[in-house]
Amino acid sequence: MSEMPTNRPVSRGILKSPLDFGGGLFLIGLAIVGFGGGFSLPFGQLSGIGSGLMPKTVAVLVAAFGVLLLVQSLFMRGDQLEAWAVRGPIFVLGGVLVFAATIRPWGLVVAGPLAVIVSALADKDSRPAELAIAAVALTLLCGLLFKELLNLPIPFDPAGLIPEPIFRAYVGVKAGIAQAFAALKAGIGR
Amino acid sequence: MTDLVGNLALGLSVALSLKNLALCFLGCLIGTLVGVLPGVGPIATITMLLPITFGIDPIGALIMLAGIYYGAQYGGSTTAILVNIPGEATSVVTTLDGHQMAKQGRAGVALGIAAIGSFIAGCVATVIIAALAVPLTAMALLFGPADYFALMVLGLMFAVVLARGSVAKAIAIILVGILLSTVGTDLESGEERLTFGWNEIADGLDVAVIAMGMFGFAEILRNLETTQTRDVVHAAIGRLLPNGQDMRQSAAPIARGTLLGSLLGLLPGNGAVLGPFASYTLEKKLAKDPSRFGRGAIEGVAGPESANNAGAQTAFIPLLTLGIPPNAVMALMVGAMTIHGIVPGPQIMTKQPQLFWGMIASMWIGNLMLLVINLPLIGLWVRFLKVPYRLMFPSIVLLCCIGIYSINNSPTEVIMTAAFGLFGYALVKFGFEPAPLLLGFVLGRLMEEKLRQALVISRGSFKTFVERPLSAGLLLVALVLIVIAILPSIRQSREQVFKEAD
Repeated sequence: MSEMPTNRPVSRGILKSPLDFGGGLFLIGLAIVGFGGGFSLPFGQLSGIGSGLMPKTVAVLVAAFGVLLLVQSLFMRGDQLEAWAVRGPIFVLGGVLVFAATIRPWGLVVAGPLAVIVSALADKDSRPAELAIAAVALTLLCGLLFKELLNLPIPFDPAGLIPEPIFRAYVGVKAGIAQAFAALKAGIGR
Repeated sequence: MTDLVGNLALGLSVALSLKNLALCFLGCLIGTLVGVLPGVGPIATITMLLPITFGIDPIGALIMLAGIYYGAQYGGSTTAILVNIPGEATSVVTTLDGHQMAKQGRAGVALGIAAIGSFIAGCVATVIIAALAVPLTAMALLFGPADYFALMVLGLMFAVVLARGSVAKAIAIILVGILLSTVGTDLESGEERLTFGWNEIADGLDVAVIAMGMFGFAEILRNLETTQTRDVVHAAIGRLLPNGQDMRQSAAPIARGTLLGSLLGLLPGNGAVLGPFASYTLEKKLAKDPSRFGRGAIEGVAGPESANNAGAQTAFIPLLTLGIPPNAVMALMVGAMTIHGIVPGPQIMTKQPQLFWGMIASMWIGNLMLLVINLPLIGLWVRFLKVPYRLMFPSIVLLCCIGIYSINNSPTEVIMTAAFGLFGYALVKFGFEPAPLLLGFVLGRLMEEKLRQALVISRGSFKTFVERPLSAGLLLVALVLIVIAILPSIRQSREQVFKEAD
């Protein structure tokens, strides 16, 4: 599980706990977005509370705790803010976004390797050759597993991009798996 | 008593059908396979594997999901022992002595005793669930909306007390979860709330999207930061079956751990997480030579692992009888059950006894299967864990993407998951714990519904919450809890418990 930031007490400056200060600002920001999104909703009466009561009340409470953290950060010693990594989030989440953008038009054959390769760039020590093999192998494996074996409606190769020989091999494996699975099903009985 | 036997017999007749046995086996196997991945805990595992249960009937799907759940749980312990990376909070304690045992060439025995302890705990917990289900369900029917509301407040307070770090932050993050739960169309008035005119979220946010973002992606981002030297055990795994002396040393800890874990797992608000900590502390206190702990004491694996599994299982009780998830994993189970058209709560047992008892019986069978699958497969898991992280995490990313896409065939949800990944990363950076948010998110909707009902019944009077004895009592306990959590002396000892585990 996530470990909390380690204790590194800060004593200098007005801000005794930058971590709590940041946390407080973060909460207040969330509360403003929440309150803004529910701004026009009616509060209703207590006997028939409206759709706005819950979001607005909760948003105000979130903001209150944000303020509490801000105040606390001035008086109680706490932890330093942790530095944010840039490379990790950009490539890992970038890989996810690329997957989302390509899965519909080109299917898993494009989205799979792209997601693997782009996200792998988050690690500076990624090795191109190893990565290329892993990307192709993982994609084919996931195709067989999710598309063929589990029948999920995920597009695999809607644009017909796979080169002929690989496709033939894939179809062969697919048929084999389908047979084995059918035999297994027949054995178990539905 | 005859009822109990009759009910379990009904359950076994369902769970022992060849198809359900196969699903249970498959669930345990895949659950372990994914759960073994370092940094992938039960929440991410269940979300990732949720789509594979779609084509199955509800009973089979639930049996498989439960299998995935304890498979993932057990996989987490395997990683804790072999790599010293706990898959989730409850296996943190296992790393202490388990990894030391592994370094001393006793990895096999550690894994073996963990499996045996878990199995015994699972058997006992199954019987406890079966025995408590009927009376608790009967009690649940007495609950009015006000009482339900109070019970959920109590559950969230427990979650606050048990969260690590500052009390204010824990409460705040639960509130953020509740705020997120209000996104989407209001069920009563049909008004769109907090959607900012965005159609894609008019149906509300999906619990799977939040869970995958915060526990799948954010966890990867954090793992990439810590350039951890993953020290996969190089020493031989050694024999798997504990010898006579090991068993003698472990018997009492397993019994105590099972009892502690079962009891704590019943608590609303993630009591299960306390089980392993409590068991470890207890064993250390009772030991003749406490200095052995932290250096590969078998009791330090046997007790907590039993407590872990017992708690993981009794945590189903509040979900199945009251319809209230006690922790983040169970909150996700609510989402999974809803997809299959099952509304968790007291009516499951009365209206769908086959489903209810079938699932409970399958828990016992699943535990047996874990024992049978895992001991011979340990060699495979070790090889699996030697795959470097630079290849492992892109694979996890791909599996997560496919899993999320398949839930609704929606690329937009994949994008939203990425956003929640960033959100979860920010939370950790600001020192918030993500798990209570998920609990608040799922309970938020229920709470609003019950609050509305209660106020309609009482014609707008808040007095109903203190006039009904049940709700008054529950709220009082919640109040006492929060006061205790704020008291400085308790706060210190609470921090110490978690420190010791780190």
